[in-house]
Amino acid sequence: MKLDTSGLESTAPLFRASSELLDGFSTAPSFDLPTTTDFDGFVKEAIQMVKPAKGTTTLAFIFKEGVMVAADSRASMGGYISSQSVKKIIEINPYMLGTMAGGAADCQFWHRNLGIKCRLHELANKRRISVTGASKLLANILYSYRGMGLSVGTMIAGWDETGPGLYYVDSEGGRLKGTRFSVGSGSPYAYGVLDNGYRYDMSVEEAAELARRAIYHATFRDGASGGVASVYHVGPDGWKKLSGDDVGELHYKYYPVVPNTVEQEMVEVSGA
Amino acid sequence: MSKSEVDVPPKGGFSFDLCKNDMLSKNGVKPSYRKTGTTIVGMIFQVGVILGADTTEGPIVCDKNCEKIHYMAPNIYCCGAGTAADTEAVTDMVSSQLQLHRYHAGQESRVVTALTLLKKHLFNYQRHVSAALVLGGVDVTGPHLHTIYPHGSTDTLPFATMGSGSLATMAVFESEYKEGMTVEDGIKLVCDAMQSGIFNDLGSGSNVDACVITKRHKEYLRNHLLPNPYSYINPKGYGFPKKIEVLLTKITPLREEVQVIEGGEAMEK
Amino acid sequence: MSIFEYNGSALVAMVGKECFAIASDRRLGVQLQTIATDFQRIFKIHDRLFIGLSGLATDAQTLYQRLVFRHKLYQLREERDMKPETFASLVSALLYEKRFGPYFCQPVIAGLSDENKPFICTMDSIGAKELAKDFVVAGTASESLYGACEAMFKENMEPEELFETVSQALLSSVDRDCLSGWGGHVYVVTPTEVRERILKGRMD
Repeated sequence: MKLDTSGLESTAPLFRASSELLDGFSTAPSFDLPTTTDFDGFVKEAIQMVKPAKGTTTLAFIFKEGVMVAADSRASMGGYISSQSVKKIIEINPYMLGTMAGGAADCQFWHRNLGIKCRLHELANKRRISVTGASKLLANILYSYRGMGLSVGTMIAGWDETGPGLYYVDSEGGRLKGTRFSVGSGSPYAYGVLDNGYRYDMSVEEAAELARRAIYHATFRDGASGGVASVYHVGPDGWKKLSGDDVGELHYKYYPVVPNTVEQEMVEVSGA
Repeated sequence: MSKSEVDVPPKGGFSFDLCKNDMLSKNGVKPSYRKTGTTIVGMIFQVGVILGADTTEGPIVCDKNCEKIHYMAPNIYCCGAGTAADTEAVTDMVSSQLQLHRYHAGQESRVVTALTLLKKHLFNYQRHVSAALVLGGVDVTGPHLHTIYPHGSTDTLPFATMGSGSLATMAVFESEYKEGMTVEDGIKLVCDAMQSGIFNDLGSGSNVDACVITKRHKEYLRNHLLPNPYSYINPKGYGFPKKIEVLLTKITPLREEVQVIEGGEAMEK
Repeated sequence: MSIFEYNGSALVAMVGKECFAIASDRRLGVQLQTIATDFQRIFKIHDRLFIGLSGLATDAQTLYQRLVFRHKLYQLREERDMKPETFASLVSALLYEKRFGPYFCQPVIAGLSDENKPFICTMDSIGAKELAKDFVVAGTASESLYGACEAMFKENMEPEELFETVSQALLSSVDRDCLSGWGGHVYVVTPTEVRERILKGRMD
């Protein structure tokens, strides 16, 4: 039994390449489905086996000057921290960013796939795809795999002809338009800071600081978030990485400790 | 849960008042105890008994050199496999009972006495106290070797093996054991069997402990063989990217307490 | 998730030359959520004897109170402090008493004997003692700690070097564990003094 994934193919080929080179690739790509009577049970078990790294904090918001996108950089497997330097903001093209929460492989693969589709759209239509369109492409793919174990929680942020755009897309098939999102296990903490400090008419510096601070507070409270807080800004000229601060140092920048060096001889308090 | 048992030193025995925590284990948060992946053996030779044990403990080798041959009486020793706390506790309890019995009777303890006390306890707890034991000793009636299973059943044998490495060791005993072996041959056989267990069973490892008990003499050969020495020792020791790393983590002494302790016992109040 | 990992913890004790060090992280969490970053897991029994309790925080505190109570009774009766070995047996007995409904803690005991000989030991939650000559570890970061200590430990360290080693081992281990960290707390005990230090660590 095979699962037909022809829906993934880019829209009708632009020009028919006559070479046999592509012959091997021209058949519609498909995944093998397991030969099992209990497909749902199998999938459930399989997901458990390759339980994806879940802990994350990502956020994005629209403001006067564009979209601000920020994320932490920790990957964990259960209690173990497998990496402190993961790139969770995926650069789809110079005008569009995606964030990564849930399964790392799922996010990376489908964002790359989305990048391809966006480029093809650009070539076919001689103009950049809108954020709305791109997010819908992704949402449609994820919806077609719904219930099969993909784990993706992402935000598509970018700048198109209509200005800044921000969408939340997940593997359950959801797609939401909004001005403020946060995804991942640290999102409740990030939302707290974000909602409290958000104003539409912020400057880029203010917005970057708000994003950084929200990520920092999330990493502080959430065990599964940490590492580096990276902040991106998407404006009319495309995205730009503004900063990548080690949260370990950021904490002591926000809350400096006075190295109370020698507090010697607390003259016999014991026995009290 | 009477009020009187608030927290005075107990009279002995188990306390079940935290068993409500059982609820947690039913919810899938079962605690795990330290089990000994173990090889333990024992055999009777010409004039006595030899016991052998490996020295590894724990799922990721918590203790690489633990003692699994427990003292029961001057003429009786006991190897333990299973849950570490249980083997330790059950042998300690019985050894003190034997000591009291010796004070009372004024003569050497017998192996069967130890055997009976152990099996009684294990049978009582219906395998909840999970200890698998090899008991050996020499008393007025000669050398004895027994195995005790966690349910409380026992065997009396010329050679015995227990623990996860029991199959590997039993193979060696089955092919090499003869009646009336000399001490030297006996120790060699035990060592061969033990090494078979240590190398072929993944749960067992490290060193070989042995204990030779004869009529009026016993010899506890702690770490008799060291087939797995700690071979990699960094000659320079571990150099931290030292001071640099420290500056980076920045150690902040917040309180430094100096308390001079007078010679002898420290005085409180 | 195991009940031992509910709050998160990291504990390590190491011996040096006529001294010992015992160190812990400072986090109290509820699964992944950090509740406090000044939690105490190491307790003083008397001037030269410390116990660290990893595992479920509520049980650690209860157990500590029972241990203090029993140690005070001992002091009244014997008019002296407990030897570390004796105290270890007391803890073991207290834990094994609850064999079938245990405290969900794994203790680490470290003390200095009257002859200034360091003593360290750990147990599982039902009191199976494990005496060690070099170092003992416990808690959710124990795997990482084993590795760090195994590489960093040297024999006969002087107090300052011991402090450095223990702190390095602790901080590098908790940086690989989601459930522990947020600073460190180290006691170095020598025959003449107790040095308690708060370590600066990553707060994520």
